[in-house]
Amino acid sequence: MSEKKEKFLSVRDLEVVYTSRKKIVQAVNKVSFDLHKGETLALVGETGAGKTTIAKAILGILPNPPSKVLGGEIQMEGEDLLRLPEEKMLEIRGKKIAMIFQDPMTALNPLMTVGEQIMEGLMLHNPYDKKQAEEKAKEMLEMVGIPAERWVEYPFEFSGGMKQRVVIAMALACNPLLLLADEPTTALDVTIQAQVLDLIKELKDKYETSMILITHDLGVVAETSDKVAVVYAGKIIEYGDKKDIFLHPSHPYTQGLFASLPSMNAGEKRLRPIPGTLPDPTALPKGCAFAPRCPKATQECMGEIPNVKLGPDHSCCCCHLKQEG
Amino acid sequence: MIRRKKKGAYDQYIKSSKSSLFAETMQRIWENPGARVGIVLLAVIVLACLFAPLVAPYGVNDMDIQNMFAGPSAQHLCGTDGMGRDLFTRLLYGGRYSLALGLCAAIFGSVAGTIIGSVAGYFGGKTETLIMRIMDIWSSLPSILLCILISAVLGSGFFNTVLALSVGNVPIGVRLIRGQILAERSREYLEAAESIKCSKISIMFRHLLPNVVSPVIVDATMGIGMTITMAAALSYIGLGVQPPTPEWGAMLADARTHILNYPHLIMFPGLIIALTVLAINLIGDGLRDAMDPKLRK
Amino acid sequence: MSLIEVRNLKKYFKVPAGLNHAVDDVSFTIEKGETLGVVGESGCGKSTLGRTMIRLQEATEGQIFLNGQDITHVKGRELDKIRDKMQIVFQDPYSSLNPRIRIESTIKEPLKHSGRFHGKAELQEEANRLMELVGIDERLRQSYPHELDGGRRQRVGIARALALNPEFIVCDEPVSALDVSIQAQVLNLLMDLQDQMGIAYMFVTHDLSVVRHISDHICVMYLGQLVEKAPAEELFAHTLHPYTKALLSAIPSTDIFHPMKRVRLKGEITSPINPEPGCRFAARCPYAKEECRQPQKLQEAEKNHYVSCCRLKEIS
Repeated sequence: MSEKKEKFLSVRDLEVVYTSRKKIVQAVNKVSFDLHKGETLALVGETGAGKTTIAKAILGILPNPPSKVLGGEIQMEGEDLLRLPEEKMLEIRGKKIAMIFQDPMTALNPLMTVGEQIMEGLMLHNPYDKKQAEEKAKEMLEMVGIPAERWVEYPFEFSGGMKQRVVIAMALACNPLLLLADEPTTALDVTIQAQVLDLIKELKDKYETSMILITHDLGVVAETSDKVAVVYAGKIIEYGDKKDIFLHPSHPYTQGLFASLPSMNAGEKRLRPIPGTLPDPTALPKGCAFAPRCPKATQECMGEIPNVKLGPDHSCCCCHLKQEG
Repeated sequence: MIRRKKKGAYDQYIKSSKSSLFAETMQRIWENPGARVGIVLLAVIVLACLFAPLVAPYGVNDMDIQNMFAGPSAQHLCGTDGMGRDLFTRLLYGGRYSLALGLCAAIFGSVAGTIIGSVAGYFGGKTETLIMRIMDIWSSLPSILLCILISAVLGSGFFNTVLALSVGNVPIGVRLIRGQILAERSREYLEAAESIKCSKISIMFRHLLPNVVSPVIVDATMGIGMTITMAAALSYIGLGVQPPTPEWGAMLADARTHILNYPHLIMFPGLIIALTVLAINLIGDGLRDAMDPKLRK
Repeated sequence: MSLIEVRNLKKYFKVPAGLNHAVDDVSFTIEKGETLGVVGESGCGKSTLGRTMIRLQEATEGQIFLNGQDITHVKGRELDKIRDKMQIVFQDPYSSLNPRIRIESTIKEPLKHSGRFHGKAELQEEANRLMELVGIDERLRQSYPHELDGGRRQRVGIARALALNPEFIVCDEPVSALDVSIQAQVLNLLMDLQDQMGIAYMFVTHDLSVVRHISDHICVMYLGQLVEKAPAEELFAHTLHPYTKALLSAIPSTDIFHPMKRVRLKGEITSPINPEPGCRFAARCPYAKEECRQPQKLQEAEKNHYVSCCRLKEIS
């Protein structure tokens, strides 16, 4: 690594399970990663891979029951978020860590004006009086490209893209250190998605916010992130710099994801999909969860899967790879 | 090799989840403790009434002249009435009428409501407006009044009583079904059915109805309890089943003159009505939870 | 003679605020065995167009021809006959299958209606053939839809559409609800089926990379109107309409070294309710001028390449 940036968030061996109809589902299985200041980490994976669960665990908003954090630690600024009392977490939530949800339609309270909703968070975490909060709320709206005079309007008066801007304004109002963005543009049209992505990038750079971006869209990853973690069946199976992942995808699953993109198959008659479907989360196979779909699978894949270091910042959980050097 | 192993596990998963929706619903009701109590209670009551000739210690109209107005004893479990008839026996025989009345009236009302409601919801437009306005008028009349009116005009008798008891339920069923259909009407499987040449009738009854009928079933189940109380009320004012036929409401009516001297005459019929309605409501609650598609995987 | 011809098709909906011009004066043809991609953002009327074409909705104006026959207003028996030839695969594999009907029955239903099969054995045999064709395992045949994942459900939806042996299928965003790896499986299946049976598709989607891969011709729609129509490779090689350009540049690219230079669009999609005459894209177009307020016509700019933009010469 050329420049040693300040390590800011460190997740170690995070394990989350939940119970569904008396069956235990291992939603997150020994996940570890680091995040530096101002950096964006993309969690990439398919539906049900456990990406959102990781984010919710960091924010401490997993519903318990049915979910339960079994172990691990989440270190931020010298504190383990998993072991903080709820009152402390209340202070952190919204102030230091903020989340943008996938669906802007349900993330806003339909009975409050957007201005009031931004002010609510502001007044909760800052010693602002009403007047100051109102000023700041208007400022935030302007910043995300909504005319300040619209602060008295209700969510239904905004379009989908505008609502997502409001949600972003709410999330950024208290200058959080960490932004958790859960598929922030999936519900939006492409041209609007482009606007919102640009906005997020711009604001993030301006405030030096770190971000965890959850998405299934590799294009979005390429445009916004610095680090990439590929998640499959609750495990990070490959982790690395954006360049490592996009130029040297090493895990068969990562390679399969890229190969199945239509844009990667220009000129070819057929796409190259990954065969099979995601494993049943209540009955994960022993060893490598991807083995049943993997073209390279052998007897070895049923055993312990090593986390192979491929570069200074690039690692991959696959028994067919050789350690670097 | 690995692949085959994995497939086996998936097979098992599929097999374990493969049961009919009916069986699944039944299982989910049974898992609900409240509903389980209700089912056991109702089963005991229904079976006892059904096999009344075997269970009952006396004949239904046998009079024991020595023991008129007798209190509960080993000889007469619930005592006897003014004519020396065994109260326990009459409760069992009366249950046949009360339960049958409740069941028939609830089914009749819900079926009628479902058909009318489906037509209104599926066809929409003027048909819907017309039906719904009639339902508005219909439900603005107090149902007990409607009930009294019909039995007074048609006279007593089993079928007339069923009719009288069910009219009040019809608008409720119509509203429920129509609301469900409005919510379901935009779903794509209905368009798919249209595109594969299903007739309107087939779309309505084969595709739409099974998906909207759960709340009506729940409502009808709850309705049985209500109808039993209503049937009792009707008998109480002398418009339901006529003596000497035993019926829980009629027995209450007979007993009202002796309410202070012989409270057991009113207590036991009242208790059995309350228990039956309680059991049915417990089952209804369980059924609602079990049929909630949001809870099903 | 083309398989499908759509001539000046209009579909308006009455809404409280006025008249929603969901499809407004759209014309195109589809040849036997080829795929027409229809691209646009939400609310541009692409789904309504598909549904109107196969008569799930009544056209307000204009004509639809199938093999030269005007089917815009056919009814009863005649309508049943065209249903045999035109089918649809829906976007949402969760709402397009009846949750209370088993997979096998879902597929058998159109077979029964087709009248081509006599007796249970024949019906079963054909149902088995279809399920094998789309790749549904035997052990899943008695399952209910909620027991299957999205990809498998979409296969059931495809089998149902194939059951009547159609010549034309409207695919309404068939893969947009699926994960990437599954999406590729379903796209391949659709293309294989086209090769085997010579079915023509109209592929409705918002995803340009998907449409490029599968289509022979592409129409780009904006607020109910076609703004550009061209053979697929031509459209990507010589994009002409400013909206198509913006749409193309908005797709996040997986090429980390050569990010696409983005045409920034201002504003949001306007509403198709009581639209002004003139170019509907003008409000967001970086090149909009006074003359864009005049009604626009789709014109052949290059061979087989139609564009509806009056400032084409100046901006290209």
